[in-house]
Amino acid sequence: MDATARPAVVIDNGTGYTKMGFAGNVEPCFIVPTVVAVNESFLGQPKGQSKANWAAQHSAGVMADLDFFVGEEALSQSQSSSTYTLSYPIRQGQVENWDTMERFWQQCIFNYLRCDPEDHYFLLTESPLTSPESREYMGEIMFETFNVPGLYIAVQAVLALAAGYTAASQCEMTGVVLDAGDGVTHVVPVADGYVMGSCIKSIPIAGRDLTLFVQQLMRERGENIPSDDSFDIARRVKEAYCYTCADIVKEFGKHDKEPSKYIKQWSGFHTKTGSPYVCEVGYERFLAPEIFFSPEMYSSDFTTPLPDVVDSCIQSAPIDTRRALYKNIVLSGGSTMFKDFQRRLQRDLKKKVDARVQASISRHRLENIQVQAVDVNVVSHPIQRFAVWFGGSVLASTQEYYKACHTKAEYDEYGPSICRTNPVFKGTF
Amino acid sequence: MILLPAPTRVLQQILLHRIRYLDRAIELDYQLVEFDDVRYHIQASSSDATSMILSIGLPAPPPEAVLSGGLPFGAIEAVKSVFGPVVQIVDPPEHNFQLTLKLDLSKLPPDEDERAELMIQFACLRAIVLGAPLRDVLKHLAAKVVSPEADRLMPIIHRPRESFFVIPQPDKVTVVIPIRFKDSNDSVLATSFLQEFMEARRAGGLSTAPSCQWSPHPPVELKGAPAHALDANSGFVSFVLLPKHVESEKLDNIVWSLCTFHAYVSYHVKCSKGFMHTRMRRRVETLIQALNRAKPEEEKDGKSTQGRSILRLV
Repeated sequence: MDATARPAVVIDNGTGYTKMGFAGNVEPCFIVPTVVAVNESFLGQPKGQSKANWAAQHSAGVMADLDFFVGEEALSQSQSSSTYTLSYPIRQGQVENWDTMERFWQQCIFNYLRCDPEDHYFLLTESPLTSPESREYMGEIMFETFNVPGLYIAVQAVLALAAGYTAASQCEMTGVVLDAGDGVTHVVPVADGYVMGSCIKSIPIAGRDLTLFVQQLMRERGENIPSDDSFDIARRVKEAYCYTCADIVKEFGKHDKEPSKYIKQWSGFHTKTGSPYVCEVGYERFLAPEIFFSPEMYSSDFTTPLPDVVDSCIQSAPIDTRRALYKNIVLSGGSTMFKDFQRRLQRDLKKKVDARVQASISRHRLENIQVQAVDVNVVSHPIQRFAVWFGGSVLASTQEYYKACHTKAEYDEYGPSICRTNPVFKGTF
Repeated sequence: MILLPAPTRVLQQILLHRIRYLDRAIELDYQLVEFDDVRYHIQASSSDATSMILSIGLPAPPPEAVLSGGLPFGAIEAVKSVFGPVVQIVDPPEHNFQLTLKLDLSKLPPDEDERAELMIQFACLRAIVLGAPLRDVLKHLAAKVVSPEADRLMPIIHRPRESFFVIPQPDKVTVVIPIRFKDSNDSVLATSFLQEFMEARRAGGLSTAPSCQWSPHPPVELKGAPAHALDANSGFVSFVLLPKHVESEKLDNIVWSLCTFHAYVSYHVKCSKGFMHTRMRRRVETLIQALNRAKPEEEKDGKSTQGRSILRLV
């Protein structure tokens, strides 16, 4: 059986979580944290002792190249023993540590999906600002280490758009993707499937910052939380209770009037001692997502609200695409999943656009002319958390995908440079 | 992870999640592929809370394979004996699959641990189906009964269009596994891996393990095997199993390890490549450091003087 007859493997490596599965399925098989726990205790020794080093490893029953864990197992191993150190191979959407990234892929393929990489085409994803070198490196690892028959490196934003397209059954590959993951938030305009590289805006506020903000608020209020786990608890609280409010002042009022309705209880067990604790979740429920809309309360370096960034991104795109872009703003990534996030973004953006249209009407004295209103539409769909993966799954189950792939034969002929440029950027060059 | 575990991780996750919410109907539909071209299709519909359908597709059989109804000998009996009343074998199986099972969730054992164990057994379906003929032979060996197939070469399918061979004898069973790799680099690594594997058996501490031989040429046991089976670019591994190796609780492990030996070797070949890359990266880093240290100090001054000279020219 030819590799093209089998479903392709789709792996979306995000800063926080990796989504992986087979093309053609509706949901990824696994969503695991992108983290590797490595045992470095055998590495730092001086060279002269390498023989003794091997003997020590052998007697300890350790195989240095296999002594590591990924995903949830990594987190639990690093908590229970001090020999393992956590390494996050991806930072801010970019692969930083190729050693651990290679190991992570190895475990994804052999331990989680349990497939033979020589039997399947692969679809990997990259953030829109990935450097050509890192794309080449990705191809090199896939072809050299795993001997994959074919590889396609897709831009996350394009996949997110493809996912929205099938969910909402609109037949357009034009739109703005707001991809807010754990490490970084990007606003990416796409026209007919081509990414407008020069108009990409990125925001240094993402899921991790929201978690840090929740952690900080809870700490300042003096909640009874074990300090080792406070980041993890803040993350869970964020995922379970946070929502976007329409008006922050009114929301404070609501909370103060009916605390019993709005203040939630969080209870858990201390991981080390096992003793139970209870803490309260209050204003951080709506304040955390609010830092997208009023970033000045979180950081003093970056103060542009998210709707303004989206607006300026569309304004910097070619004028003939702007209406289409306003019409299709697609949300993707875990940090856009807060309740009413879509409604708030749409309202704020609409307000801004309408004000500008009014201003230009009055400036140019166009009152007598019928001006067509700009249609602002923020699309949200139920699979936002793994929209990128889903788009990849849809794309990789079409026949065109196999034609667009870089194949092993091409790699053997030309080397890693075949992965250097991504065709979806070609439109603007 | 050094050994590949027998339960398929995805299936295990899906099934354990399913039995946690037994009272609810959950819609799910997954098509999965495992190494050696074993395919699974698991589905449950939201209208029927008590049943699930699990299909397994096997690798394409080589010409020498002996099958009954598309399945290895004894597979149906093995499935029935493991799962009993919980499953119903659907005939004919789903298109493109060899065996379709209908799970009746209402007949699961009431105890939660037993239930979970049964679900893990479902995740091991591959070992039960593909390992059935080998398990049969080894059971005969453990009971010291002469197998009906004694002294005959028995092909057992383990990869698409490839099989390994079992030679049952009254007091021992010889298993010969031809190892093939598509990529020439992989083949070299596998060869040295297997040589080390054989050496490790000879070293102390493993004297009770089955004896293991690797040779680049087909061993004499394979006399009479079809010609295409004698062509393997990474040599042949043979194990000799004695009755003590297949005592009750060891049987399952041995069947699983032998049926997936190729996947095991291939996994370790890929791991060692990754490890070599790690070492190479570290080496490059130290070389770059050495180069940086060797840079002459004056270079910085040189630049500034150059800058000044340009200024002077202006």
